[in-house]
Amino acid sequence: MAPNPRKRKVVTRATPDESVEDEELGDGLLEGILSHSEDESDDEAAASAGSSAEEDPSDDEADEESGDEPDLESDEVPSDGEEDIRRQLRNLSTAEGPLKRKTSHLTHEQEEAEAGDAEHEAEASEDDDLKPNYTVTTDAHGNTRYLYHEIDPVYESDDSDAPATANTIGNISLSYYDNYPHIGYDINGKKIMRPAKGEALDALLDSIDLPKGWTGLTDPATGKPLELTEEELDVLRKITRNEIPEEGYNPYPEMVPYFTGKLEVMPLSAAPEPKRRFVPSKHEAKRVMKIVRAIREGRIQPYKPPTVEEEEEATDFKTYDIWADEVPRPEHNMHIAAPKMPPPGYDQSYHPPPEYLPDKQEKETWRETEEEEREKEYLPTSYDALRKVPGYERFVKERFERCLDLYLAPRVRRNKLNIDPESLLPKLPSPDELRPFPTTCAAIFRGHEGRVRSVSVDPRGIFLASGGDDGFVRVWELLTGRQLWNVKLADEDAVDTVKWRPGKDAAILAAAAGEDIFLIVPFAILSPDVEQTSRDLIDAGWGYAAAKPSTTTNGATKEPPARWSRPGKRLEDKGVLVQATVRSTVKVINWHRRGEYFATVSPRGQSSAVAIHTLSKHLTQLPFRRLKGIAQSAQFHPSKPIFFVATKNSIRSYDLARQELVKILQPGAKWISSFDVHPGGDNLIVGTYDKRLLWHDLDLSTKPYKTLRYHQEAIRAVRFHQGGLPLFADASDDGSIQIFHGKVVGDLMENATIVPLKVLRGHQVKSRLGVMDVDWHPREPWCVSAGADGTCRLWN
Amino acid sequence: MGRIKKKGTSGAAKNYITRTRAVKKLQISLPDFRRLCIFKGIYPREPRNKKKVSKGSTAATTYYYTKDIQYLLHEPLLNKFREHKSVAKKIGRALGRGEVGDAKRLEKTHMPKVKLDHIIKERYPTFIDALRDLDDALSMLFLFANLPSHEHIPAKTIALCQRLTLEFEHYVITSHSLKKSFLSIKGIYYQATIQGQDILWLVPYRFVQRTAGDIDFRIMGTFIEFYTTLLGFINYRLYTSIGLVYPPKFNAKSDGDGGELSALQLEGKGIDNGDSAANGEASKAITSAEAQAEADKIAALAASGEDEEDETTVAQTEGEEENTEAIDTFETTAEDADVLPQPTASNEELASLFAPFTFYLSRETPRAPLEFLLKAFGCRRVGWDGTHGDGAFTTNESDPAITHQIVDRPALPADALPPVPAAAEPTNGDGPQPKAQWPRTTMPGRTYVQPQWVWDCLNQGKLLRPDLYAPGAELPPHLSPWVKPKKGEYDPNRPLEEQELEGEAEAFEEEDLDDAEDAEPRLITNGEMDAIVDRDSDVEAGEGMDVASDSDEEDEEDEEDEDDEFEGFNSDAESEISDGEAERRQHQRELEAEATGTTLESSVPSSKAKSAEIRKKAEKKRKLEDEERERLKMMLPRRKRKLLKRIEYGENKRDTEAENLRRKKRKLEKVKAAANAL
Repeated sequence: MAPNPRKRKVVTRATPDESVEDEELGDGLLEGILSHSEDESDDEAAASAGSSAEEDPSDDEADEESGDEPDLESDEVPSDGEEDIRRQLRNLSTAEGPLKRKTSHLTHEQEEAEAGDAEHEAEASEDDDLKPNYTVTTDAHGNTRYLYHEIDPVYESDDSDAPATANTIGNISLSYYDNYPHIGYDINGKKIMRPAKGEALDALLDSIDLPKGWTGLTDPATGKPLELTEEELDVLRKITRNEIPEEGYNPYPEMVPYFTGKLEVMPLSAAPEPKRRFVPSKHEAKRVMKIVRAIREGRIQPYKPPTVEEEEEATDFKTYDIWADEVPRPEHNMHIAAPKMPPPGYDQSYHPPPEYLPDKQEKETWRETEEEEREKEYLPTSYDALRKVPGYERFVKERFERCLDLYLAPRVRRNKLNIDPESLLPKLPSPDELRPFPTTCAAIFRGHEGRVRSVSVDPRGIFLASGGDDGFVRVWELLTGRQLWNVKLADEDAVDTVKWRPGKDAAILAAAAGEDIFLIVPFAILSPDVEQTSRDLIDAGWGYAAAKPSTTTNGATKEPPARWSRPGKRLEDKGVLVQATVRSTVKVINWHRRGEYFATVSPRGQSSAVAIHTLSKHLTQLPFRRLKGIAQSAQFHPSKPIFFVATKNSIRSYDLARQELVKILQPGAKWISSFDVHPGGDNLIVGTYDKRLLWHDLDLSTKPYKTLRYHQEAIRAVRFHQGGLPLFADASDDGSIQIFHGKVVGDLMENATIVPLKVLRGHQVKSRLGVMDVDWHPREPWCVSAGADGTCRLWN
Repeated sequence: MGRIKKKGTSGAAKNYITRTRAVKKLQISLPDFRRLCIFKGIYPREPRNKKKVSKGSTAATTYYYTKDIQYLLHEPLLNKFREHKSVAKKIGRALGRGEVGDAKRLEKTHMPKVKLDHIIKERYPTFIDALRDLDDALSMLFLFANLPSHEHIPAKTIALCQRLTLEFEHYVITSHSLKKSFLSIKGIYYQATIQGQDILWLVPYRFVQRTAGDIDFRIMGTFIEFYTTLLGFINYRLYTSIGLVYPPKFNAKSDGDGGELSALQLEGKGIDNGDSAANGEASKAITSAEAQAEADKIAALAASGEDEEDETTVAQTEGEEENTEAIDTFETTAEDADVLPQPTASNEELASLFAPFTFYLSRETPRAPLEFLLKAFGCRRVGWDGTHGDGAFTTNESDPAITHQIVDRPALPADALPPVPAAAEPTNGDGPQPKAQWPRTTMPGRTYVQPQWVWDCLNQGKLLRPDLYAPGAELPPHLSPWVKPKKGEYDPNRPLEEQELEGEAEAFEEEDLDDAEDAEPRLITNGEMDAIVDRDSDVEAGEGMDVASDSDEEDEEDEEDEDDEFEGFNSDAESEISDGEAERRQHQRELEAEATGTTLESSVPSSKAKSAEIRKKAEKKRKLEDEERERLKMMLPRRKRKLLKRIEYGENKRDTEAENLRRKKRKLEKVKAAANAL
């Protein structure tokens, strides 16, 4: 590498393109010569850093020294170091160059080379500026040939590489090499030996007279003590003072007024001075006249400061009546006047009656509650004389809050509840008016084995019929509880229902056991004429069915829905006169009001579930070919030809005369157990297995008017009083009977009043069955219940 | 098919506007908006359905009616505000440049003056409307008349407040429209009836007000600005309506001397200048104390003479006028005719309640309210101690014309008083009459009362017994004249027995007996403490006992409550049984007595047993009633039941409050009785 630049140097010796060869100028001698020969740069260097000149002789020494140390002086290493340093130095010394340079890289040793280099540098750069960057030679053909200088890729040049590192150990602290003779490796992998550290004496000398550029730092790249030249220090100083490091730079040069400063001698235009320069402006005169006119006419008044009195008069006192011509204006609909503050009460007095004073506990609670949450914002206090009353410390605060309320609080008109609570309560009849109603158990009818399933009081109110699980129908004297008559209707089937025929002229009891319906005239307990009429009524129908057998359209004899027959000698002797056998088990019997018909319901029989029997003809008809749902109960309307049938969760009413559906009531119950029609015919009560008792007003809606839930268990039977008293009762499995007052007024506008009256308890609950049936006395406020405990009870 | 309607373009969403949007629409700052709202009386509204208005957002916002804001858009004040803003900007600029003179000039000449006259007219189209809204205005102005000036309330405004309130008071005095007044712990309430409108206002006691804390005086200042304008116009109208000149003459010197009411001199057809002459004389500068005393005496004599004459003439004129002005009473001639109600002519009597008297206010009494009240109820001669300020009828306490002296100091024994300075004695002795000075000496024939007497008299419309209000006496309770006794509420005016529910007294009695038994041994130990604490009234002694027995009492009550609950339905049965038992025992005793032949000493059942009996009976009855009520309630539909519950909540609260008061009263009565027995 070395010979080539040397050769070129020889060639281009005349050209001052020294910068190219910089790196090759490792020789101290040459350096020294150069530095002395170049006067300009030397001056500059001397001015900026006087020390460099002084160090020149030492340069030689250092070179000699380096000769002594062959390892260190190996050709590349110093040259590399030199290049690095030169680059840095150039940056440092040229004002234009970027000032970001790492001064820490400068080491002691390089310093020596550097001084010379700096001179080369300066010289080179000056030469660059002055001379063209080529030389003209003649080529082989004799033409001129421009030999361009080789481009020196200096720091400022575009293709500046990363600075070649002298030590390749990277970013590692030098302390790791403390134990070794070397301090790292150069680019060729050779050891960079530790430079000879100053001996103890040297150190002492150093400490005695510190060199000018001594920093006390160690250059991490070289491990030598870092020293800065005077020039560098000066630059640093200037940088720290925020000054421009260049010497003699004036940031505020004096402005040279190129154009205005010159006084023109000749005018630019030769035009004569216009007339308008000598004549007063018309426009201005116009404007002035306008103002003058305004002043004359009084439109513009000269400013006169108002006197003090005037001001006060103007602000303080009203001098006219603002309401002189008042016209009342109707208040806007949506305007809500601010509510007035309420007048003070007794407890706000300065000396209230002592009972208004809070006791200790009340005081405590008042104090403990938050200010916003207090019921009263003050604590009633008593002062025994007016002079002892202190100022109210929340006064201004309260006024301020009132102000806030006045303009910030939304106002809402609230209807104050000014209702007398008494008026809300329903007008109920007084308990005295509700009387009479059954309250106590008057008689217990014992005799049945097993449950009593059904009870019925005869229309004259003398007898009570009951039927139970033991298959017996028993007739009792109502008042005494004595058993008058009984008959066993079936061995295995229970008597599900018994019902007296309405009408006082005869006494016929209908009872159902299993699929058989029996019509009974109890033997020997009735008066003879009644017994006779009863027998006549029943006997009238014999042979009717045989005479007119029901036929289907095709003429074939259809099987009749029921077979009417005589029950046999044993029963006939007891008074059981007729037996009608239907297709499935009969659960409910209900008579028509005239006693001519009765309806039976057998929930299991699908098409024959509801049957209407004609007593006088011994005829059975099935009104419904198919019924939706399981029939539960059926009843005749008390006055109209309407027939009610209850299925599992609805009640339908049919017009029998016109043979059409009138209404479907939806009680909303899951399973209807029984229902009863009010004697008036417009109201209905429904008992359900889901513990509810529903009152239906037929005129009102198909939905219940009232839903009563006072039972804990299922309701088995419901019953209106038929004899004119506004009572009804229900029987439940919880062993209680509840008596209600249910008054229906003829007036359509008024709804029925229902009042719970009494809970009758007495029946025992057996196997989760309580009261099975309930019936009213036809006239008296007595009711009879049938219990699962095998007793019947009369309540009055 | 019509166009699909967009949401939020009509209905509630359009009718309401949030505050932010309103401010934006008006293009003013928030403080200006606040001022405008205060002046114009515009207040936020609560939309019925907030969600519809806020288009679904549920953030808490203030809403105004859009129409209200639109109405504000046309307000001339808005322009004033804008001008003000621009001038303020100019002033700020001038000040920034250091041109103080310029800034001053700008402020003086260019600052727009806000006049609220048109707003008054707009908000109160008739005078009656204005009177209806006067409550807050008066309370505010009276408060600020007593406040020191403030950064936002200049001294000029305070002076204006004082002036306006005094003017108003003068009107109330001359028109005799004051009806009631009440001394509360907050201040003094007054109620006047002007043109059929009841106006109630509150005046603070004259102490330094606490203005610390969250009080924004800018807001109050805005209100004051509006209210001063309003009261100015009202005063003008009121004065002119009774033939007075408005504004009344203002005597700055008298005002400086603390003349207050007398600093204003009314002029008009109905005013004789007797008062003002006297005032003028009184306010004359007097060089020496002696000369002052002399002069006072002369003035007082002259004034009293004049007044007596006045009085007689007034009486005469009244007598003459009686035929013309008073309402005649109509008597029905036939029996079947309806009787129409007539107003009682008590107004005149009330207006001249204190007319025949001369009052003297002692140094320790509040002069301003007393002077106002006495004058408003007909008294024309009110004198006071010289320290109270200018304008007194007399400042001489020993003036013989004085009939009533209002004193608020307890009567101390003579030896407890510091001796009269010897130097003062001979000078006073020189005068023809000894100087009467409460509490050293009392003038014969003069009534000494405490200030409360005045209030109670005027509230009840008659002169009360002054001995109840004698200095140092324990005052009767001071009651609010505005509370109307309502059904179910406690009324302290009626005896306790009338108000108590059946059996309640006995219940209280029983509790008290139990308490007393419990508390008795403890009371003795407590005695020492009571001796240390000076107990000057029975009430306090009672309280002392409370302290000892409070906790026990509560426990007892709790226990009783528990018992009640526990008894449930069986309680009446139990009581019956116990009653039966008692009867049986009595009968047994009688039998035994018969057998031994001794007459049965009427074994009166102990009061406790008796009261228990009564109580039980009452309780039973009440329980039955409750049951009946419950039964009725059961029949109500749910909606109505809820409504009833709400109503009953209020009623129950009222009832418990009343019961609590009755209980306290009963206890106090008992304590008093015990004290009397001792």
